[in-house]
Amino acid sequence: MNLGTRKLLDRSFTALGIGSIIIMGLALLVVLVPIVSNGIGALVFRETVEHRKLLLSEFHRGDAGDLEKELVISNGYRQKAFDILAAFDRELEQMEPERQEVYRESYEQVRTALRVLLGPLPGEELPELTRFRYGQTRWDKAEEKLHDLLYEQKWDYSNPDVIAKPNDVSRASIFAGTSLVRLFPYVEENIDRMMMPQWTIYWGFITDSSLDSHFFGGIWPEIQGTIFLAIGAMIFAFPLGVIAAIYFTEYAREGFLNSLLRSANSTLAGVPSIVFGLFGLAFFINTLHVSESKSVLAGSLTLAIMILPTIIRAAEEAILSVPKTYKEASLGLGSTKWNTIMTVILPAALPGILTGGVISLGRAAGETAPIIFTAAVSVGTAIGLGDVLSSPTPALSWNIYNLASEHEAAAQIRHVQYGMVLSLVMIVLLLNLSAVILRARISKKLKG
Amino acid sequence: MKKYGSICSLLLVMTLCWAGSAEAAKAIVIDGSTTVGPIAKSFASYFMKKYQTPVTVSESGSGNGAKSLINGSCDIADMSRSMKPQEIAAAKAKGINPVASVVALDGLAMVVHPSNPVRNLTESQIADIYSGKIINWRQVGGASFPIVVIQRESNSGTQETFKELVMKGRQVVNSAETQASNGSVKNRVSQTRGAIGFIGLGYTDSLVKKVSVNGVTPSAATVNNHTYMLARELFMYTNGRPAGMVGRFVDLPKTLDGKRIIKELGFISKY
Amino acid sequence: MQNSSGMHENEAAKSGRSSVFVVSARKRKLQKISQKSGEGTLLLIASFVAIVVLFIFWFVARDAVPYFRLRGFQEFFTSSEWYPADEPPRFGALAIIYGSIMVTLGSALIAVPMGVIASICLSDILPFTVRQYVKPVIEMLAAIPSVAYGFFALVVFAPLLQNVGGPILMWTWWVIAAPVLLLAVIVASELLTAPIEKEPKKKVLHLVSALFLGSLALLFLYFVGRHLQGLVIMSGTNALNVSIILSFMALPTIVSVSEDALQAVGRELREGSYALGATRAETIIKTVLPAASSGILAAVILGIMRALGETMVVWMASGNSSHIPDPFFNYLESIRTLTATIAGDMGEADQVTGSARFHVLFAMGLLLLVVSFVSNFISERIVVRQRKVLSGQ
Repeated sequence: MNLGTRKLLDRSFTALGIGSIIIMGLALLVVLVPIVSNGIGALVFRETVEHRKLLLSEFHRGDAGDLEKELVISNGYRQKAFDILAAFDRELEQMEPERQEVYRESYEQVRTALRVLLGPLPGEELPELTRFRYGQTRWDKAEEKLHDLLYEQKWDYSNPDVIAKPNDVSRASIFAGTSLVRLFPYVEENIDRMMMPQWTIYWGFITDSSLDSHFFGGIWPEIQGTIFLAIGAMIFAFPLGVIAAIYFTEYAREGFLNSLLRSANSTLAGVPSIVFGLFGLAFFINTLHVSESKSVLAGSLTLAIMILPTIIRAAEEAILSVPKTYKEASLGLGSTKWNTIMTVILPAALPGILTGGVISLGRAAGETAPIIFTAAVSVGTAIGLGDVLSSPTPALSWNIYNLASEHEAAAQIRHVQYGMVLSLVMIVLLLNLSAVILRARISKKLKG
Repeated sequence: MKKYGSICSLLLVMTLCWAGSAEAAKAIVIDGSTTVGPIAKSFASYFMKKYQTPVTVSESGSGNGAKSLINGSCDIADMSRSMKPQEIAAAKAKGINPVASVVALDGLAMVVHPSNPVRNLTESQIADIYSGKIINWRQVGGASFPIVVIQRESNSGTQETFKELVMKGRQVVNSAETQASNGSVKNRVSQTRGAIGFIGLGYTDSLVKKVSVNGVTPSAATVNNHTYMLARELFMYTNGRPAGMVGRFVDLPKTLDGKRIIKELGFISKY
Repeated sequence: MQNSSGMHENEAAKSGRSSVFVVSARKRKLQKISQKSGEGTLLLIASFVAIVVLFIFWFVARDAVPYFRLRGFQEFFTSSEWYPADEPPRFGALAIIYGSIMVTLGSALIAVPMGVIASICLSDILPFTVRQYVKPVIEMLAAIPSVAYGFFALVVFAPLLQNVGGPILMWTWWVIAAPVLLLAVIVASELLTAPIEKEPKKKVLHLVSALFLGSLALLFLYFVGRHLQGLVIMSGTNALNVSIILSFMALPTIVSVSEDALQAVGRELREGSYALGATRAETIIKTVLPAASSGILAAVILGIMRALGETMVVWMASGNSSHIPDPFFNYLESIRTLTATIAGDMGEADQVTGSARFHVLFAMGLLLLVVSFVSNFISERIVVRQRKVLSGQ
């Protein structure tokens, strides 16, 4: 092969390598961009007057006087729409029965669409479920619902041989020639004044508990549950892991027992997470009876076992990276081995150990499979610190699954799901980021 | 000293954890069917507001609900089918006396993608589709499009009701997609053009198209007057006739507010 | 550091003083005993991990064995009829095992070449300053919780595959295959014309062969692309979706472990190769890779294990249909895996009546456990052997 070809091959090899790294970067972007952009939408969005109403009456937040003024204006505009409805009601009554039949179903749809948009119509009983007591709280949703009010989605089934395509039929054309026709342009023109959207940052999404199975409110119980579970797992796993690492690095002698213990450790690291869940259910709940049913305690114990190998490995590495001279100096001064470990090696290795701990904390927070059978519930209040021994808790990871695939109206609360995913990803990534920073600081320190 | 500080704070958290464990409130623990889930969750919100009693709801399937009740790890088991004799026997063996309370009636709606022109299926057509005999919508009068069959996980009461009412001993084809809950079936059907699935009537909305079965459209009225054949009762099982808060909870469907919640969620009140 | 070393001096002085005095035999014995017992306690805590592993094995096996006792081995491994709730029930797990293998293989096909090449790039090609930033980014891929990936697969990726799956596949094909083929064409035409000596003739021939091969490659690209574009994906929750997402999750493991293996190959080997006049690519392919091969193999095994053991992504996005796709390599059909079956079917697992239905899930757990144990064992052996080879020769 001549030199030119070899150089070309060399370059193409480099290009391949850089290409694959770029693809990985793109993969990360492709996953993170929709999560971040949609997730932020749970926090920062244009809230309507309905949202302010909801906040005041359910969470007692906001200025009642200001809201009162806004409501007066908003209701003024709404009243005109309701007047049109009332006029059509009277008109409908005077029609002959056949014509009534023609309009009845479409009219019911219009009323439903308007109810979904603005909340309960005048003269209707206040619904028991919170989700039906308010109109659209988010402007983006309100615009969607406005579209539903203005247009009826019809499917063209005329040709039975092809899959139908949707086409929008203007409702105004359905009601042509009646008094209801005025409603549609009126609502379309004045929707701003009826809803009064304004940009807001809804911090309550993080600090409030949920209302009516996550239709409104925030995700604090889930965040708190995640924190409890992760910290609980650390409380059990961290001391055990560090002590085991001390043994492995300072005391263990090469031999059968040692290699057995080590391979046990790496086996534990490779066990599928769902098996931990099975084990947690069979051992902690059904055999040891650490709690009557699912509980934070049982979940933490299961997670602790799962993250133990990671902590041991990180702690081992941290201890091994402490310069030998430290230890030799201490031993040379006549200190005992235990003393040396406690006063010289551990303090020097602590940042490294903590880094490993922080990364495992992130892993414990993000895991779902081990807590399905041991700790997680789909609805529950934020539990007090005192209840961790006996109560199960909602947790971000499980509730993301639950809301995305089990909830009765999963498609309507996508923003909540994205918000949860973003919160979980942020918690985990921030923990990892702090670990990276910690690691950078140690390596600087150790270099002197 | 910073390092010791962090250790100290860790210890502090630990002690707080143990110290706080003294005051524990008795919560009502509910587990079981995803079909009953929306009712249980809404009842829970209502209950927590009205009586300040904490309620937790898990939706892990009817079978799991029964199991939890038998193991004594829940107070109320939501079920979308009645308990099997083996389950009752197992409960009795553990000293638990399962008592059923009917929560609501629910129709089982066959749903397809809104773009699907098919309006009606007969019972035997549905059985043929689910057993893999009919694989294209053309065979039931639709467009030429392969059928994506969606069923529920085997722990689901909805699945068992479906098998009992429609399949009658025939086997569901093993290429059927399996989803863990009503919500995810609806989600999949609303996204997949060739799909067919079955969900509780309370879950249906404009995202999916309900298909009439034997010419009868599923609705509250047709379920109530027994013309729609795919209907069943939903239960909450408790250990004995419950007293106190659990009893109040189970009796919610009989109260005015309870009835309204059930109706608003799209289920049919029995009382 | 200053603080603790000061303290440590104090301590050392104290203990130094005490050791000046002659210690009685009894005291020495006591000291020894306390030291031994302390060490014993440490050992006990360290072996906690081993005990846990044993416990996991014991608990899973204890509930798995009754299944095999009740139903034997044959059905589980040879039948693909999975009807756990029927009367009579059937527990053929073949299709489910096959589903697990399928997504694991699929993700390996994507993740292994990319991961290995990326790790080479990280360790040998990119300058140190760039590497410092790239590595944490790759670690970020590993840190994202699996349920977030599952959510992405179900809510974003599955509808996308269903609606515009064909075009997506076509574009991916073009983006990945076009540069690779372009390089191949350039190299091949170089190689073809290499033996020719005369200058003008060589240039012409080079151009001709490049054009010819290039048009062949273009045709190939176009036809495969068109075929891919024409594919109709009935259901977005399928083996392809899961394989792609799982490969994202396996990549960081593969990259970081095989990068470690590549770093472990010393500078001497590389410098020797460069000194002999090899280019960087030749050095890497002919010298570094063979030396690091076992470490890379271990990395691949670890990455694959991550994909095999993953639960949430497959549960949410694989479609969970327990059948062997037709034809068997059809990645566009739904499949079901062992982990998803355990998570999803645990509902009816009525341990109270001790039915085969409950125990079969533990049998699956045991299968996963055994596979992960064996592959872990193998990868560990490989790493140990490599360490010996590299250090001792």
